[in-house]
Amino acid sequence: MLSIKNLKASIEDGTQILKGINLEVKPGEVHAIMGPNGSGKSTLSKVIAGHPAYKVDDGSVVLDGKNLLEMEINERANSGLFISTQYPTEIPGVNNVEFLKMALNSKRAYLGLPEMGDEEFKKLCEEKMTLLEMDERYRDRGVNEGYSGGEKKRNEILQMAILDPKVSFLDETDSGLDIDALRIVANGINHIMSPEKAVILVTHYQRLLDYIKPTYVHVLRHGKIILSGGPELALKLEEQGYDWIEEK
Amino acid sequence: MDAITRIQQLGMPRRNNELWTFFPVAKIPAQEYACACDDSEFSDLIEKETDFAALLPIAKGAKPMVQNIADGASEMAMLKCNNDFGHTVLNIGKGAKASLEILDNKVVHEIAAERFDINVDEGTDVEIFFANPANDVPLRFRHFRITQAANSTVRFSSIERGNGITRVSIDCFLKGEGANFEIRTLNKLNGTSGSHHRLHIYHEAPRTTSTQFSRNLLDGKSNASYDGSVIVEENCTGVNSSQLVNTILLGEESSVSVKPILKIYHDDVECTHGNTCGELDAEQMFYLVSRGIPKETAKSMLMASFAKELFQALPDTPAKKRLLQQF
Repeated sequence: MLSIKNLKASIEDGTQILKGINLEVKPGEVHAIMGPNGSGKSTLSKVIAGHPAYKVDDGSVVLDGKNLLEMEINERANSGLFISTQYPTEIPGVNNVEFLKMALNSKRAYLGLPEMGDEEFKKLCEEKMTLLEMDERYRDRGVNEGYSGGEKKRNEILQMAILDPKVSFLDETDSGLDIDALRIVANGINHIMSPEKAVILVTHYQRLLDYIKPTYVHVLRHGKIILSGGPELALKLEEQGYDWIEEK
Repeated sequence: MDAITRIQQLGMPRRNNELWTFFPVAKIPAQEYACACDDSEFSDLIEKETDFAALLPIAKGAKPMVQNIADGASEMAMLKCNNDFGHTVLNIGKGAKASLEILDNKVVHEIAAERFDINVDEGTDVEIFFANPANDVPLRFRHFRITQAANSTVRFSSIERGNGITRVSIDCFLKGEGANFEIRTLNKLNGTSGSHHRLHIYHEAPRTTSTQFSRNLLDGKSNASYDGSVIVEENCTGVNSSQLVNTILLGEESSVSVKPILKIYHDDVECTHGNTCGELDAEQMFYLVSRGIPKETAKSMLMASFAKELFQALPDTPAKKRLLQQF
């Protein structure tokens, strides 16, 4: 499904942040990526999405046979990639629901599907908002405008639910969420997940993984995945931190 | 004094005249004034006038069209000039409410000039607005002389997006205590078009307020200028005035010039001005495009949001509805 091979990427001043990432993600899998601050987790998501602040030095990111790195940013999304960043951007003046409808219909146009009409979209939106226990305030406001950290994260999952991507890369979706919101967001992700889809979660804490059971857990450090394992690895990291890996 | 004589005294606009600093004065064709109408009733006004654009319609023979709105009336009106040169006089009575849309004059040849004298009585609430469609009028002047009595409000809102060059000049006299003037202007320009605003707001009474808010979206080789002066006279305590100009330069060769002037002759006042200039927000662009929205559509969405924000603070009136419909 998603195959990342020897991915190396730098920032503008030439500093290489990703130093050869390899990751194979199959349908139905949940991958958790953990690692200390500054290890390259957020950079990985942005490089895959095509953020212009990063230059790809080497490697490939293939989703269902297509190299995402050769595609425009919007084409990557329309091909089935969804990236939720750690700090979702506020866009005052762009209505949240209109934005969602525009995004969905852009994807449908890309896939050769007819535009979704107002009524059908309204129904879809209501269904997903109910799933995520979101109130009407989300409809009338600008995209992420004036949202709290938790509201922004919930709005990201709403977008994920509506766009229905093949692979979702969720960067610290659990940060800023209170206990109830964490449960709601995690339940939403589980609901969206299916045997044909995959999720990559970046997190610092086991608490998210209590709700969303990972298939694999990876440790990213200094721009490389230095250790992979099953769900038990996350528990060990929670108990012992990252230093023991260096010792090993 | 008649308008032709006054123009001859002043001479044609030059860049070294501070009223015309940013305007491409070479674009103004030489004028012939053979058909001036009787302008004697405006002679006092003409004698004090220093702006060529304010005198031009009178000198070209525009017959004044006088409209009166009665005390306490509530009116919606559309103002349209059917000739190249027009002169409208509006007298708005005490406590009246008026919504005035200025329609574009499509029968224009080389140059068009309109003058509006708007006299606003106590306690009135007036909105004046226009949303000019893209057209090919090469050169257009609109001059407004607004006089406001106590506790009156005038909200002036406009969108400029023509292909030619426009200049809007406003002299606003806040003569009565508590009078309030607000202006919101949007310039959405492309090609070699230009839009120029020149304002003088005179705070001549205590607790008068003025708000100037201008936004520019400039593509191609277009250019805009905002030359805004606020004059606070002596003993005008409690005056509050603000001016803000935000510009997004979309074209490599687009440009903007901003000149705020504050002349304050009293201590107890609050007057601010600000100016920002930049490009579309790269993170916002990335966010929209990363959700599958094509780059050009995302750009249009951000431009529309930038423009709409300008008019969001207007009360729910015909002006707000009409202006927001444009995006």
